[in-house]
Amino acid sequence: MFNILVYGAVTSAIYAMLAVGFTLIFGVARILNLAHGAFYGLGAYAAYVLTSQLHWPLLPAAVAAVAFVAVFGAVMERVLVRPLRGSGLAVLMITLAVALLFEQGMFILFGSEARNVPAFITATWTYSGLDISGQRLLTLGAGIGVLALLYLFIQRTRLGTAILAISQDPEGAQYMGIPANRMYSVVMGLSAAIAATAGVLTAPFLTVQPTMDLLPMVKAFAIVIVGGLGSIPGSILAALLLGYSETIVAYTFSPAWTEIVSLIAVLLTLILRPAGLLGKRAAF
Amino acid sequence: MRGVFTSVAALALAALGGASLALADEKPIVIGATTPIQVQVGRDTVDALQLAIDEINGKGGVLGRKLKLAVADETMDPQQGVAAIKKLTADEHVDVLIGGYSSGVTLAEEPHIAEAKTIYLDVGSASPSITDFVKKSYKRYKYVFRVNPINAPRQADQLVGFTTGKLKSELGYNTMAIVGENAKWVQDLAPVLKAGMEKGGIKVPMMELFDPDMSDFSPLLSKIKESGAQYLIVILSHANSDVFVKQWYDAKFPMPIGGIDVKGQDPDFFQRIGGKAIAETVSLGMLAEPVTPKTMPFWNGFTGKYHRPPVYTAPGAYDALYIYTEAVARAKSTDPDKVIPELEKTKYLGTQGTYEFDQQHDVKPGPGLINLLFVQWQDGGKRVIVWPKEQANGKMISPPWINQRAEAK
Amino acid sequence: MARLDKIGKDAIGVAGVLAVLALAPLVVGSDYFTGILTVCLIYGIWATSWDFMSGLTGRENFGHALFIGTGAYMAAFVDSKFALNPWWGLPAGALVAAAFSLVVGFPTLRLRGPYFALAMLAAATIMQRLTRIFWQYTGGEEGIPGLDTLFDDPLATYYFCLGALVFTTAVLLLLARSSWGTILRAIRGDEAACQAAGINVTFYKIVSLMISAAFAGAGGVLYAYYQQAVTPDVFGVALSITLIIMVYVGGMGTIYGPAGGAILLALLPELLRGLGEYRLWVYSLVLMFILFFTPGGLIAPLWRRVTGSPR
Repeated sequence: MFNILVYGAVTSAIYAMLAVGFTLIFGVARILNLAHGAFYGLGAYAAYVLTSQLHWPLLPAAVAAVAFVAVFGAVMERVLVRPLRGSGLAVLMITLAVALLFEQGMFILFGSEARNVPAFITATWTYSGLDISGQRLLTLGAGIGVLALLYLFIQRTRLGTAILAISQDPEGAQYMGIPANRMYSVVMGLSAAIAATAGVLTAPFLTVQPTMDLLPMVKAFAIVIVGGLGSIPGSILAALLLGYSETIVAYTFSPAWTEIVSLIAVLLTLILRPAGLLGKRAAF
Repeated sequence: MRGVFTSVAALALAALGGASLALADEKPIVIGATTPIQVQVGRDTVDALQLAIDEINGKGGVLGRKLKLAVADETMDPQQGVAAIKKLTADEHVDVLIGGYSSGVTLAEEPHIAEAKTIYLDVGSASPSITDFVKKSYKRYKYVFRVNPINAPRQADQLVGFTTGKLKSELGYNTMAIVGENAKWVQDLAPVLKAGMEKGGIKVPMMELFDPDMSDFSPLLSKIKESGAQYLIVILSHANSDVFVKQWYDAKFPMPIGGIDVKGQDPDFFQRIGGKAIAETVSLGMLAEPVTPKTMPFWNGFTGKYHRPPVYTAPGAYDALYIYTEAVARAKSTDPDKVIPELEKTKYLGTQGTYEFDQQHDVKPGPGLINLLFVQWQDGGKRVIVWPKEQANGKMISPPWINQRAEAK
Repeated sequence: MARLDKIGKDAIGVAGVLAVLALAPLVVGSDYFTGILTVCLIYGIWATSWDFMSGLTGRENFGHALFIGTGAYMAAFVDSKFALNPWWGLPAGALVAAAFSLVVGFPTLRLRGPYFALAMLAAATIMQRLTRIFWQYTGGEEGIPGLDTLFDDPLATYYFCLGALVFTTAVLLLLARSSWGTILRAIRGDEAACQAAGINVTFYKIVSLMISAAFAGAGGVLYAYYQQAVTPDVFGVALSITLIIMVYVGGMGTIYGPAGGAILLALLPELLRGLGEYRLWVYSLVLMFILFFTPGGLIAPLWRRVTGSPR
């Protein structure tokens, strides 16, 4: 029971980090970014390169990796997405192409085998029958921290307010002097940074492989839909829901069915409550 | 003047004669490698074949003809696999196909291989269904042979030998859990394994197959802990072994692990997961130990030329090429109808043991033939053979946080 | 006279393309080339069927592989498990795929934009997972191999598939240019208005999805009998997305464009085989360039320019 509580929380934290970035860029810029999984993967690979090949110490490597991906995201938005903003489908397609290039690029640069990133915390805690590694607890803590920071950023800073304004009314915001286009790049960078943080934190105990971008992408997409496209609290709620249902199914039923849980949840949500749990934008 | 003329003419004639002789033998024997080249197993298949080809060509080739390599990327997608087969057979007209890794791809390719009437030597797929085709329809599928690895159910038999012979009889483990990826080859193998272990007096309180995409094993590990087993048998190939073993180590899991872990066979597995594979026992065909007189020359040749140690498809591919060329030499032809009967009579001492094929063209395991070695990762990434007894060269250790059952003698 | 001229140019263009497709395998004379091209044609059937529904109504379906896979597995069951004449696979595949589309479409077609897309993606992926979970019936990830072909001669298979593609494109094009197509396009524009005008929007959406599914399923059957094996990849996300890219490159909503886009993009990775390990990377790069520089598609605008036809 305690196991489920803690492990479910860790899984939910990871999912929340993935989903929040995805829903952020959609809520603000109406971009369905299929390269989001690639941001997650790039974070992990950047951490790998910096620690295992360039032998940087862990903390600077992590920060640098996240910064690198944030810049990558912003540049991608500026160079590839902005010219195509006229067509939602075109944007979808180009982000897809980026994801494909990421996968192939990683294959060529680093090979198909899983790569190792050393953990920040190597200790393991045991508490009333539960063994949990320090890295997982760190991920949980960092996930909560990141989400809290994001909340504060949007509510309390000028930049955050600007972003809120654009998501509510792009034209109105521009009349007020907020440079919408530049904001989109910033938000994409932010979204990428959050995804990369998840990648860096989970790399030590999950997988670092060229195909690592696909499953998180599908899960993030699913969570965001269940939570409501464009709603950050919705994504967090849905992440909790999905994280826990998967953990519970794995513990009590059969680990062969865990991956199908999210899919069924998505399908049910779409059929029963299409706007998602807290969706602002109607699905009809 | 006439002397010079005559000499020049003689030289020219000799050159022409030599050239025509060379031209007559020039048509090389083309080896078609069909393998996923983006993956380590694929790259090693190609490199091992090239190594063998260079060696054989250096000794004059086969039947006076040189060997040449043609490669087609079959990826892990059956559609690309079928296209690769067609490219090699219908476009590049290879004399033999060598390769294979994913059973799904190999199975999809088989009717097309049969259609092309080209011999195919499998060096990587373990599904028994692959050679079932030969049994069901010999005339059509006689071209298919499996050189490597021994098929999944037979691997189960060898694993039963390890669990009953080593773990139970020598070390006293009598309760074991089995965990594997929910893939067809495991579904074929697991019941055979469980039945064999139970027949040998081992209790199996839990056998669980998990989704191959799973990357968070904590719930599964918890469940296994609660089962009361003393040892965890794993059956992993495409699943995230790296992650599984890392998580096993991080959780200081109270059971040692061992079994079939294809990724755990990789020579750099220990180092790439930061040493967390300590005390994991993995079944292997070959490592840097003189299993046969040909093992070390191959190992040194491969690592010398390619600066990395080979994975399991490499010795298979290397030996497969030699098996083929020797059969061709005996048949004095590359015509499949003549080579196949010779292949069926194969009794070849290679890098992993002696190869013989059964009625279904499947490589035979057994004493004196091909056997799985059970090898344990020990300190510093050293690999020690712990089973079978005849080949064991060291004692089995326990994971550092578990203080029992290591061989204290 | 001008009208005749336009029809003439279109017809000549079509005849030209058909001639090239009909003669190509004979000219090259290699089973490899014939085989590759056969697969391209089948992709064409799939892409065209996708375009008929999603291209016209704007309801992008991210799970078209569901119908393809259904057709393919039905073909495998007919041939292997039930040991019937493989030709029965065609009607079986088409009908069951259409039935599935009814079941899945009914609750999901009222959803808009990314929601319908995701529902279809989820449905296809669930199906894929189920084929692995119920491996005793479906062969798990090894699938069902060793299927028969419809014809012994690969050329015969090729021409049959060519005929199938021509048939599919012709039928769907006719439907698209009839009042049916107009209604579908109207639905894309403003569904509420259509509803208000008394059009049974649900009927049109569902029936279009069923038609799309039937052709996709039939294509899946042809694919199964060409490959002589089915595996769970045939339900995969990768396939669904590949088709959307093909339609996009071909020109969404044009019906004939996607056929061309499919043939081009299915052929490309084979042509790049000489690049060895870098093949798929170059392919992604080429794809990115095409997607970036031709946002309106490549094939259809090219066709319009060459033949001077308005659509």
